[in-house]
Amino acid sequence: MFLLYCPYCNEEREQNEFSAAGEAFIARPKNPEAISDKDWADYVFYRTNHKGDHWEQWVHANGCRKYFIVKRSTISHEILQVEPFGTEISEQES
Amino acid sequence: MRVEQHPDNQIDRSKLITFIFNNKIYKGFEGDTLASALLANDVTLLTRSFKYGRKRGLMAAGVEEPNALISLEFGGRYTPNLKATEILLYDGLCAKSATSPNGLDLRAFIKPLHRFMPAGFYYKTFIKQKVWAKVENSIRALSGFSESPTEEDVDVYEHIHHHAEVLIIGAGVAGISAAMEVLNNSENERVILVDERPRLGGEIISELCSDNSAKEWLKSSVADLNVFRKEHSDRFTVLCNSTAYAWHDQNFVEVLETITTAQSLADRKIQTPRKINHKVRVKEVILATGAHERPMLFEANDLSNIMLSQSVRRYLNEFGVISGNNPIIYGNNDTIYQTAKDLITNDISCMVIDVRPDGANNPFAEELKNSGIKIFQGYAVVKAHGSNRVKSVDIAPAIYKNSDWEVGNEIESLNCDLLASSGGFNPVVHLNCHSGSKTYFNEDSQSFLTGDLPSNRQVCGAVDGTSDWQDAIVDGRNKAKLTLQSLGINKNPKIEKLSENHNNPYRVSPFFTPTSIINRPKVFLDLQNDVTTTDVAISIREGYRSIEHIKRYTAMGFGTDQGKTGNINGIAVAAKLLGKPMSEVGTTTFRPAYSGVDFGALAGRENGAYFDPQRFTTIHDSHVANGAEFEVVGQWYRPWYYPKSGEDIHQAVHRECLAARTSLGMMDASTLGKIDVQGPDAREFLSRVYTNAWMKLAPGSCRYGLMCDEKGMIADDGVSSCINDNHFIMTTTTGGAASVYSALEMWLQTEWSDLDVHLNSITDQFSTVAIVGPSARQLMKVLCQDVEFDREKFKFMQWRQGTVCGVDARIMRISFSGELAYEINVEANYGRYIWDQVQALGKRWNITPYGTESMHVLRAEKGFIIVGQDTDGSMTPMDVNMSWILAKDKPFSYVGRRSFTIEALVKDDRLQLVGLLTKDAAVVIPEGSHIVDDKRSSIGYVTSSYFSPILRRSIALAQLQNGLNKLGDTVIVKIVQKRQGLKEIPCDVSSSVFYDPNGEKVDGNE
Repeated sequence: MFLLYCPYCNEEREQNEFSAAGEAFIARPKNPEAISDKDWADYVFYRTNHKGDHWEQWVHANGCRKYFIVKRSTISHEILQVEPFGTEISEQES
Repeated sequence: MRVEQHPDNQIDRSKLITFIFNNKIYKGFEGDTLASALLANDVTLLTRSFKYGRKRGLMAAGVEEPNALISLEFGGRYTPNLKATEILLYDGLCAKSATSPNGLDLRAFIKPLHRFMPAGFYYKTFIKQKVWAKVENSIRALSGFSESPTEEDVDVYEHIHHHAEVLIIGAGVAGISAAMEVLNNSENERVILVDERPRLGGEIISELCSDNSAKEWLKSSVADLNVFRKEHSDRFTVLCNSTAYAWHDQNFVEVLETITTAQSLADRKIQTPRKINHKVRVKEVILATGAHERPMLFEANDLSNIMLSQSVRRYLNEFGVISGNNPIIYGNNDTIYQTAKDLITNDISCMVIDVRPDGANNPFAEELKNSGIKIFQGYAVVKAHGSNRVKSVDIAPAIYKNSDWEVGNEIESLNCDLLASSGGFNPVVHLNCHSGSKTYFNEDSQSFLTGDLPSNRQVCGAVDGTSDWQDAIVDGRNKAKLTLQSLGINKNPKIEKLSENHNNPYRVSPFFTPTSIINRPKVFLDLQNDVTTTDVAISIREGYRSIEHIKRYTAMGFGTDQGKTGNINGIAVAAKLLGKPMSEVGTTTFRPAYSGVDFGALAGRENGAYFDPQRFTTIHDSHVANGAEFEVVGQWYRPWYYPKSGEDIHQAVHRECLAARTSLGMMDASTLGKIDVQGPDAREFLSRVYTNAWMKLAPGSCRYGLMCDEKGMIADDGVSSCINDNHFIMTTTTGGAASVYSALEMWLQTEWSDLDVHLNSITDQFSTVAIVGPSARQLMKVLCQDVEFDREKFKFMQWRQGTVCGVDARIMRISFSGELAYEINVEANYGRYIWDQVQALGKRWNITPYGTESMHVLRAEKGFIIVGQDTDGSMTPMDVNMSWILAKDKPFSYVGRRSFTIEALVKDDRLQLVGLLTKDAAVVIPEGSHIVDDKRSSIGYVTSSYFSPILRRSIALAQLQNGLNKLGDTVIVKIVQKRQGLKEIPCDVSSSVFYDPNGEKVDGNE
């Protein structure tokens, strides 16, 4: 039950106002019909399940309903960075 | 028994309190705990042990007590498995042992058998031999402690949220010192101080200090804090009787406060909460949780009146109670001399056994010798004797050689009726470890301390290994300075020096775990779970190496005790047997909760009617007036069926279905999810999320849509209406409304931010009344004059704007029953008015309100699926025979399309939706029943099953392997009947459309 900063509301709020929405930077393939079954399965099913600093999507479900991205340590649960959706992240280590 | 009044006693002997324990009446004093009052009444056998049924008494005086589990009160106030040491006495208190030491407890019969029951006994004897199923019930009857409550809890509980800068856990010397430092050196910072005991002061309260300086320091400090509390109540909160039991991420700490501690039941006000769960969020935490004493190990160390030395001191000094005339004090550190000294102060003679050969360097030792106390140095207790209560102990010489203890052979027997033992101290690191800190073994203090602390957390006092009170004051002050530094207040903290031996002022010797002691029987480590040294030895012999595995094999540290007194000794024994240093063996993981938490306190007020939100449509009162029974669908209270007097559900549904099929029915459809989709790209958006085409749907028309997820599985369905080119109203299933809305938002925000589309949930803004049946058109003409209802003017799957009984309405001609039907949508507050008007004006056609059960029957007769009932997240549109709804020529690869061609989704043995007609038309198959092949393996299952009134026979929808190629075949459905066992029901596989397959009914009567 951590506090999360909503970059749209500009406030730190209780975790139970938010929902986790999976790993960030998983883009839908531009032309799904043109790619192999394996590449499609990678997009639909496979995730890194990264141990350490991890970029993920959160939505302020019981608030402004906006999606944004969060860099969170999956070891310590520390929130390291919060950005509005679409922010260019140079170090996409995830 | 009580000793004479000492000024340091915390009880008020002028205030007598009557209480009941195990059906007997006793008396105690105000200030007593249940434990101290029982000891004062010489009740020394309180429970029977968990596994072996051994009679046990008190071992400790506080939260660390493993034995004295009791049930408090009865009826709606019954609380199981509380520790007698934590209950303050109140007038009329009624308690009983969790497991009675007297009478015919089944466990009494197990006691003589216990040497045949080592760790793993139940598993090896019963589960491996495959007889577990036969004996499970009788064995489970023997397990556990108090019985579960049977009545609803009459007490109320509360949650309070706190936001502050500093939380100090533990109000002993170190915690108080830290609190003073923070308060005196900050201006606005909010500080919370919590302690599990009723008074501030911690251990010092129960010590008789040789010089009075400790008590005087405490007295003046507490007075200062109280003044501060009065003058600055806005920034200083003190919570007593409050246990911090869980520490979560980001310094979020949960604290359980008992409000009704010493109040008699009669004095409690009904709305006063019994407990409050404080949810505390702070920037900085200072942990001053102290340490628990651990016992020495020897044979039969679980006999009654074998207690912890510090606890004996606490009972004596705080409550004026001692449970023996002839005590022996035994231990491996200097605090045993303090206990001896306190006993002499109270005119009780005793003997001291110090396992350390050089223990006499203690300043008290000479003083004790001079007053005639016998002191054995370099001796160990190897065995205690006594039937239930200790009568004597065997001692033998102890030698420390090559970093290991040995015990000599010359045994001497000493009589005693109380043994107080001290094997060192276990810092209470639990909370610190809850949020990830690791422990390390500190050789100086022979204890596990916490390392690698984050910068917003400090540890001081005994939990930091600093147990001398003067050092603890300085330590508290130092750590408070670091806290202020972390808050940016004290830029250059001046850290004061601690005394040289601050980490081991009591000179605790290394763990006393000689092999000859470990190998003895009945050397108990964990008294609550009956774990002995030989159990640990067995687990190691059987190949367990990690302390986590040893814990689970032996059950050491389980239960409400969580290994507070026993675990560290157990780790020492494991370390010895594994030949590894303590630091390498490490501790098991400390998890919340630190001590027992009432379920009621966790629930707080979110109980009963407040457990889950209840949603009602604006028409609800009319449903109640119509005598509806309700079912809960996604928090909505939907009418289920409307029984007339004497009708059961089957009769009511029969009547309702026939009305809709032959004349007129009406239904409240307001709960369907409604999403307003607006923007220039609304059409394109619908095309992407639905499988079918939306580009040409004209304003004034409606279309059914099927929504898949990216895996190609059916996620939701519903009808959307085109209001104009930039505006659509989408409906979703009642239960799926929230998740569909959130999925649509995700697509728009995270993938298709280039689409100019805005969504809004309008489920609550509109009420919907469905008018269903062949006579629907006639009624609509009565209700609404400004819309033409003729078949050719207002076609199926169209909508019109009109005025219904004077109210603006959108009328949709859509049907979930196959009959002619209109859905009238009005602004929500007109819902009940419209419903009542429809019901009154529809009387001519005998209009019949129907609920969800009839709705299900009507739609099943037509083979319409319900997403979530006939599909389960693994069904594609092809599987439910709906390939017709997959657009072939949409330019954008809509959600889920790419998955339709992957191998797993085109296999021919997939489950497919079919109809089932039982050979015996009267038999209704239970939903969920399996269809079996001739090898009795499942090849599918029934998803919907009803008796159809119009068809006068049973119908069922089922998922059947390769079902669409089996139409006309006969299959067997297997069902389990009460008392009759398995029964086979032969069925014909049919189309899933049972009624009106050509759709001739949808235009109704003229």
